[in-house]
Amino acid sequence: MIKRLLQPRWIAMVVLVGLLVASPAYLKDSPYQMAVVTGAFFYAILASSWALLAGIAGQFSFAHMALAGIGAYTAGILGRDLGTTPLQGIIAGTVLAGLVGLVIGILCLRLRAAYLALFTIAFSEILRIWLLTEFQFTEGSNGLMLDKLWEGITGVQEYYVMLGLLLGSMALMYWLASSRFGLFVRSMREDEEAASAMGVNVVRYKVLIFVITSLIVGLAGATFYHQVGIVTPNTMEILQMSLVIAMAVIGGMESLLGAAIGAFFSRVSLEMLREVGVFGFTIELGAWRYAAFGLLLIFTLRFAQNGLLYPIIDRLFMRGARKDTVAKRTLAEEET
Amino acid sequence: MTIPILWLVLAGPFWAALGAWRLPRVYRKKGLDDAPARLIGGLGGLTLGPFLLGPLWYFTPDLGRWYWGGGTGILAAFELVGLFAIMQSDNLCVTNASYVANQAANGLTIGFIYALMAVGLTLIYSVQGIISFAHGQFYMLGGYVSYYLLLFLSERFGIEVNPIVGVPVAGLVTMVVGFAFERLFLRPMHLGRVERAGEYAILITFGFGFFLQYTALAIVGPFSQKTGTYLQAGSLQLGTLVMIPNRLIAAAVGIVLIALLLYLLNRTWTGKGLRAVSMDKQAAAVTGINPLRMNTLAFGIGTMLAGMSGAALIPVFTWVPWVGMTASTRSYVIIVLGGLGSVPGALFGGLIIGLVEALGAGCYPDPSKGAAYKTAFGLIIFALMLLVRPTGLFGREP
Amino acid sequence: MTRRTAFGLVVILTIVSMLAACGPTPEPQTIVQTVEVEKTVVETVEVEVQPTRPAGETIRIGGVGPLSAPGSVVGGIAMQFAMNLAVSDINAEGGVLGKPLELIFADTEGLPERGAAAAERLITENGVVAITGEYHSAVGLAELEVCHEYGVPCLFSETWSDAITEAGYMEVFRIAPASSMNSRATAEWFAAVGVENVVSIVENTDYGIGQDEADQGFYEELGINSQEVFFVELGTEDFLPILTRIQALDPVPDAIRVAVTGETSFNLEQQMAELGIAPSEDTIGTANQVAIQPEFWESVPNGAYYVFSLVGLPPSLYNDTTTHVAEAYSAQFDSDPPSYALEAYDSIWILADAIERAGTTESTALIDALEDTDITLAQGRYYFEYTSKNPLPDNGSVPAYMWHQWPDPAVLLLQYFEPNQDWKDAAVIWPEVYQTHGTTYIVPGTTP
Repeated sequence: MIKRLLQPRWIAMVVLVGLLVASPAYLKDSPYQMAVVTGAFFYAILASSWALLAGIAGQFSFAHMALAGIGAYTAGILGRDLGTTPLQGIIAGTVLAGLVGLVIGILCLRLRAAYLALFTIAFSEILRIWLLTEFQFTEGSNGLMLDKLWEGITGVQEYYVMLGLLLGSMALMYWLASSRFGLFVRSMREDEEAASAMGVNVVRYKVLIFVITSLIVGLAGATFYHQVGIVTPNTMEILQMSLVIAMAVIGGMESLLGAAIGAFFSRVSLEMLREVGVFGFTIELGAWRYAAFGLLLIFTLRFAQNGLLYPIIDRLFMRGARKDTVAKRTLAEEET
Repeated sequence: MTIPILWLVLAGPFWAALGAWRLPRVYRKKGLDDAPARLIGGLGGLTLGPFLLGPLWYFTPDLGRWYWGGGTGILAAFELVGLFAIMQSDNLCVTNASYVANQAANGLTIGFIYALMAVGLTLIYSVQGIISFAHGQFYMLGGYVSYYLLLFLSERFGIEVNPIVGVPVAGLVTMVVGFAFERLFLRPMHLGRVERAGEYAILITFGFGFFLQYTALAIVGPFSQKTGTYLQAGSLQLGTLVMIPNRLIAAAVGIVLIALLLYLLNRTWTGKGLRAVSMDKQAAAVTGINPLRMNTLAFGIGTMLAGMSGAALIPVFTWVPWVGMTASTRSYVIIVLGGLGSVPGALFGGLIIGLVEALGAGCYPDPSKGAAYKTAFGLIIFALMLLVRPTGLFGREP
Repeated sequence: MTRRTAFGLVVILTIVSMLAACGPTPEPQTIVQTVEVEKTVVETVEVEVQPTRPAGETIRIGGVGPLSAPGSVVGGIAMQFAMNLAVSDINAEGGVLGKPLELIFADTEGLPERGAAAAERLITENGVVAITGEYHSAVGLAELEVCHEYGVPCLFSETWSDAITEAGYMEVFRIAPASSMNSRATAEWFAAVGVENVVSIVENTDYGIGQDEADQGFYEELGINSQEVFFVELGTEDFLPILTRIQALDPVPDAIRVAVTGETSFNLEQQMAELGIAPSEDTIGTANQVAIQPEFWESVPNGAYYVFSLVGLPPSLYNDTTTHVAEAYSAQFDSDPPSYALEAYDSIWILADAIERAGTTESTALIDALEDTDITLAQGRYYFEYTSKNPLPDNGSVPAYMWHQWPDPAVLLLQYFEPNQDWKDAAVIWPEVYQTHGTTYIVPGTTP
């Protein structure tokens, strides 16, 4: 037992979690840095659940931001009109996001991957337009105000709430990915027909995983926007979703941890790289930031498909787990 | 007026239940497979009640087959229009025929423009089997190429040319960019050097589009731009129709280019090669067609068409770096509607979306919000299509 | 590892190191405020966030505005430029309280939550003594809560929503016109030229909706009939469905009011003019205030006879300060300063003036000094009529948005009467005191 715990993966895990738990001690003098890091946790949840959906289950969805928005708007509107507490609102928001995920799943998952991508883009757009246009109900672009999670919540508490959500959802997703369920899902991605021939009910599992990620995202969205205090339709723009996808890919689409870490650092660096100091002058990076991000995304995809963090994570966590892939690759390279 | 409503609310469900219950028995009695009978009976009862159930009963199975083949859609559309006319009896779309004609004419005009862009996207899909998520950005690029070409000509040489000149040049530039992108990033996928090709294709095109859009934003800035119009003219009055001539010219460009593409695909060797690859890669390779070259060619032609539609539209609409976003979403809707990979399908899809957007915005019960939902109407059609017939109008496989 | 993969890794590493090299400068504290007017290398915001610096070196003012999408980047850039110009002008005259002034400008992206975070960062991290700027009302409404929470004065220079000053906070001041003040000018002009039926086309954002609400109030008051209101989504290109509906209206509307911004407004205005709906002999066409931008004529070649509003003074009434800002602005952007640039410039001066009079940067004293503001700058003479010393009357005779609101922002109506006309040559038609061509409306097809 002790020997098992001394494996590098466990040591790394403990160090990482320890650092995250301890860091408010250093950040607490700076509400802004604390908020940036808390926000980065939110993006880490989005990116890692997207990695579970796209990277591991092979379902390409653009609706993650929209589902997070559904969670937040449901919680906010219930709180405003029915006077529910934030907790009740968050539960309702999570459930509704899950239901919407269920409907999208049933609609699209019989079809090829591209259909899901197209449909979810369309869905996010419809939702955004609806939220903007029915402003009498949704407050439109002014944004919907949400109460704080509880009276007098501090930045440190918010940090721990989001960290807890991140760790919880990561644990859930890792458990899922490593269980029998995860095995089925992976087998479906590799070869759907074979999986179905082996008796895996493909569509049902696809829908199930879509619903689970929708629930996670809805929960994270409802909680996060309760902390921010306001949610606007613009958060559902495709741009925001693009950033989540880019983060997950750069971090490593097939690794939940890679995607989460990628999202965390991308978010923090995008925040810090607004302006760049060169010899005392400041250059507004503005759009160039995103252009470089796009370039990084396509080169990562082309030349390091498992993400930039993959080598590190692989060494720490997955040693030897992919010998067959390596063997296949060498074979392919010998051929060419 | 209340009678039809009563019919729909009260009698409809009754006849539907009756049809769903009894029709399978009629099938069985005649010794037929009763699998579709319940649905046919239910729908038939709901739409026309005894007037349809009676003949269905009597002429089974001949009428049932016809009804299932296309009758449902036509009847449902008929019912919906009727219901709309009853509920919204003072809506302009019900009371004013020339208004409807005007909206429809404008919708069809812009439909041709939408179709031009979607045709390129569907061509790429038919040959490569992927959807290019950078299509809108190629469209944006085409517009800017035309703009800066005209600007360069007028500032450097003092030549003012008609913006139509920009169309072929923009097509050329976007085609070259498309070729380069295909060779660098998509060919490795076709050579099997990339794991999980499907997701790779979505992501790599998406990432490239992202890159193009923000590079354009960084270079051009957020300021809007536009070339001169094709003609210095006001509106064109044709009977009760009022049209914008500049827009008609852009639509004409669309028609000509689509006609040229159809000619290329159906009458030339290259086009036949493209079609052959789209039908069966292996078989095409056996007959000496190089599928890789056809892939590159298809992608280049696709991006060229996107660029040309951008160049054709920049005299009509104001250009900003994010102009491709809505346009590409609309193209996705169109190609799914028409059937992924079908060029005529994309043409029809474009026209339908043009019509739906115009009539939807024009007839929406709350006039103040109709226009805001313009894009949403197309998206709703898209969702319905996925639900009812994912292959689209002319599609081959779901 | 193949050569190809190696090449790819090199490319990736290059990009990463490019991003990484963009790290903080070694000693951000020593950055000296300089403004490069010729290039778009605009000045200095810190990269590294650090604890509140000991007072003594500089006095810091926070600027907020959109520098990236979905915010209106055009507005943010102009405001940032004008604020930097004001800071360098003030520092050239010896700064404030003997110390140089420093501007820290934060990007709000047009998103309320980002705006609130930016304001919080400016106050807690950068230790700014006051915040100024902002372009989007929705963002401003989120920011003012932060200002209120920390008790730091916020001077809004370009947010129009009535709700900004209606909040009634001690910390919140505004020098831009409230939506209602803007609506009043147009509505009164409509009444003066005998408009009976109005159609409004407004964007479905805080700006459009707020403007329309204010408009409707005045229409009712002045007996103007609002025939239809159309909400449109920003980014719409094709407006024919709406315009066809307007063509089918009976009676033909006397005026069309446009509250749509950016390239969307250009598309709308061009199509409206091309179809001959407005401006026409029957119908007055109003354009959004962005019609003063140089891109207007490129995008709306048929735009002659459009009426548009201008916040601020007409060029004929420019004072020395206005001319100075206008020159610097056109050297940078090759166009004339829009009102939000002039207001942003003035806002820095107003804050500097208040700090100087308060003799301290302490918030309460600063707010007190701001209430006593009386200074003439690029847009005219600034003062705040309703303050804690002269509270709003209880009986509601003065609208609530007049709290800490500069009462006199000039809202003019101008009309182009020739194609490709410079906005400075356009006729000022309203209010009557500023009229340049002696007429309240130029009927399309005629010259004044």
